[in-house]
Amino acid sequence: MDALDSSFSRSPVEPPVPIARLGLAWLALSALTVIGLGLGIWFHGQPWLPLLVAGMIWLKGALVARNFLESRHAHPFIRRVLQAFIAFAPLMLLLTSFLGDRLARWTAL
Amino acid sequence: MPDAVLPIGLAPAWRIPGNKGIWVGITCELVEFTLMFLVYFLARAHNPEAFQAGAERLSRIAGTAITLLMVGSSFFIACSVSALRADKRRASLLWLALGLFTALGYPVAKALEVSWNLEHGINGSSGIFFTVYYYLTFNHMVHAGWGILGMLWVLARHAAGGYTREDHSGLEALASYWHATDIIWLTLFPLFYVLA
Repeated sequence: MDALDSSFSRSPVEPPVPIARLGLAWLALSALTVIGLGLGIWFHGQPWLPLLVAGMIWLKGALVARNFLESRHAHPFIRRVLQAFIAFAPLMLLLTSFLGDRLARWTAL
Repeated sequence: MPDAVLPIGLAPAWRIPGNKGIWVGITCELVEFTLMFLVYFLARAHNPEAFQAGAERLSRIAGTAITLLMVGSSFFIACSVSALRADKRRASLLWLALGLFTALGYPVAKALEVSWNLEHGINGSSGIFFTVYYYLTFNHMVHAGWGILGMLWVLARHAAGGYTREDHSGLEALASYWHATDIIWLTLFPLFYVLA
């Protein structure tokens, strides 16, 4: 049991993530930020804007989780917690945008 | 009969970035912000006009600047971890210092934004949108503040030779916390500054 515990608690040395890959993720995140802002201004009031914004929120969260946090190699619990959190806001945004009245009725005091 | 053990050299398919303790903290942080986002969405469902009008009044420049600072800082910290794994201690230290310097831009940008807000009549009693905005963004800034303090500690330890290629769980733990805080801001930004 001790040997099993120690083999899991002592993480092996991971290979370094290439700086180029991290840099690409950074550029993508920065570009998505500026593009998202532009879309919000150009398509202000469009009914499908929340769908676009929800997609971008999810994409940016996933980029950080996969490239910076290396979630694919992380413990399954950590992976699930990150996936659930990253998905929560986009799903709630879609719910609020397309079923906002119903949500308000369900949650009225 | 001896207990079954893993063959020597067979590493598990997964790992815990940093240590278990930081992931308890990060999980608590994510649960906390999930509840705060729930407040945002319920308030938005009940006050759609206020939320559509409110975002128009915020400074998009400030929001964008903070986002780029957070993302940039996250990138530098990720590079610091990667450099140390490649046994490049000095490079790792420089990346970490860059990450801290960039992160310090966040409270500065926030202070300027709040000052701008107050000049334009945006305060805690400006309506439900701004109440939720201050509630969420101030909470985020507190968490980022803890991350910055953690960066100072890790930088000091790193400079003193406390981390090696084989053992740098403290650096990874700080990086994990900062990336999680970055994910939270990346969610916050469009909800307040983009969706109008």
